[in-house]
Amino acid sequence: MLPYVVRRLIIAIPMLLGAMSIVFFAMRILPGDPCLAMMGDEATKEALEDCVRHLGLDRPLLVQYADYMWKSLHFDFGRSIVFQYTVSSYILGMFPHTLLLVLASSLVALGVGLPTGIFSALHRQNPLVDYSSRLIALLGLSMPVFWLGILLLIVFSLHLDMFPLIGGGDLTTVFDMIAEGEVLEYPEDFLAAVWDVLHHLALPALALGLTLAATVSRMARSAMLEVISADYIRTARSKGLHERFVIYKHALRNMMIPLLTIIGLFVAIALTGTVLTETVFTRPGLGKMLVDAIGARDYPLAQGAITVFTMTIILVNLLVDILYAVFDPRIAYK
Amino acid sequence: MATTGNTATAGTRVKPSAFDSEAWQRRLSGRRHRRYIPIAAGMLMVVLMLVCAVLAPLISPFSPSAQFSDFVLQGPGAGGRHLLGTDEFGRDLLSRVIWGTRVSLQVGLGAVVVGFLVGVPLGILAGYKGGGTEATIMRCTDMLLAFPTLLLALIIVTALGGSLLNEIIAIGVALTPNFVRLARSMALTIKENDYIMAARALGGTPLRLMVRHIFPNAVSTLVVIATLYIANAIRTEAGLSFLGLGVPPPTASWGNILSEGRQFIKCCPWLTTFSGLSIMLAVLSFNIMGDALRDLLDPRLRGD
Repeated sequence: MLPYVVRRLIIAIPMLLGAMSIVFFAMRILPGDPCLAMMGDEATKEALEDCVRHLGLDRPLLVQYADYMWKSLHFDFGRSIVFQYTVSSYILGMFPHTLLLVLASSLVALGVGLPTGIFSALHRQNPLVDYSSRLIALLGLSMPVFWLGILLLIVFSLHLDMFPLIGGGDLTTVFDMIAEGEVLEYPEDFLAAVWDVLHHLALPALALGLTLAATVSRMARSAMLEVISADYIRTARSKGLHERFVIYKHALRNMMIPLLTIIGLFVAIALTGTVLTETVFTRPGLGKMLVDAIGARDYPLAQGAITVFTMTIILVNLLVDILYAVFDPRIAYK
Repeated sequence: MATTGNTATAGTRVKPSAFDSEAWQRRLSGRRHRRYIPIAAGMLMVVLMLVCAVLAPLISPFSPSAQFSDFVLQGPGAGGRHLLGTDEFGRDLLSRVIWGTRVSLQVGLGAVVVGFLVGVPLGILAGYKGGGTEATIMRCTDMLLAFPTLLLALIIVTALGGSLLNEIIAIGVALTPNFVRLARSMALTIKENDYIMAARALGGTPLRLMVRHIFPNAVSTLVVIATLYIANAIRTEAGLSFLGLGVPPPTASWGNILSEGRQFIKCCPWLTTFSGLSIMLAVLSFNIMGDALRDLLDPRLRGD
């Protein structure tokens, strides 16, 4: 087990470094001077030189590269040009919002996708179930999350006035109250803050979760079909176990293993989805920050956001691979 | 089934089995043909889109950039000539949606062609050569795969600037790792075949083996899977345009229309509704067609 984890870690490190290099060089092959792009044509020569020095663009490319790699690994991405904060403090403030959205939408996706996928696998002989489940999955796969988001906004925020139109709720208050131990002192304020956050979270999580549910449903269906044709299921049935017992005790548990590998891929899709979802719902988060940074040509901020996105995805894939070996020890010996 | 039934009743008078009946045969052939329905539906929609894109100047009622100052933000049917309504500059939405088909299809097809042309040779090379070549190519592929399609396309478009060609390149490059993986796995299976050994015994060079023997045997599967990536590319294009990083306005693209219409969802929901619907239908039709083609070509790829 341990050699496997070490081997997997060794593969992940060059991947991380390579992906970070791609980010660095992609940002450097920009046509035109980033400073000129940021400050516009009216910028004075002194201001431009100051900016170049500030960003360290006057140094040789390899020095800049080494500096970026070294600092990125220490979560130091420099200062945002527009906001003047350090990029890492900005990212730290935004990350919880994105994490919350990914978790909530994953819950929605699993809650909707798993049961429907399993149901359609178990009842695939019924053409009505088979066709309708496939059609719904295809519709979900084809639905752009930003469009679903706008439709939800039109119906639930504008017409029914049930959910807020923009924002992400007061997450800082929730964290501050927990950190300062004020939860028990002012339980009503705390609950109000939590409610506010959940209220803002509901529609974005629903939009992203429902579009992801189609993917989960498809995966669950094929995983279930694979498991249900296995020999041990036939054995379980032939020794007279109740069908419900066969499904819940034998099939479902074994289905989780193939499903787990796909979760890594799933988190990557969900993280990308947050870029669009946060933009549609004007919700604070890493994705919206990235889009805004690109729009404002705030390169340190954009570079930091992309680096953190990539790091997260590689880290999740690593964790999933390790978990996979925990659930299925055969993997570690291959 | 019918044969066993007949042997079992051998000696006695052979009754016409229910399975031989005409109705049964009809149902069987009906079931056989039923699987062509999704392909037909998907293809019909794809052909419709192609027609819209090619004949856009002929079938769109107005120019996509013509502004009608009397009809700003009017609902569907305004003035009896703006079937889907107008936007904030008084431009006809139907014409813009029809012209938007061009952008979506150009990017969808173009990006997949780029991904295919770059990815497939690399994948076949990796699968055929093995060893260090394979390790190098696959490690680079894994690195690119760490970026989801939209994020990678976003980085490239940011670096190159938003335009139709850059969008095609960005999404094409973002799709490339998928083609490398697929082509490699196909090359690995195909190179084990006896005819490859025979070709090598006859003195075929590696290049000849790859180009004349491995590629032709892989191409049909690759093209079918490519159909599925067209859907992916169209969705990514719409996402980029929606984020304001795609084809710059005033060019009509579905993502642009949706993004501009977002400011008017309260008064004028038709702007976002029809552009979003077009994106969904386009992605859906390529998905249906790709899925159905894949099932027909190789039912094992279905994953069930």
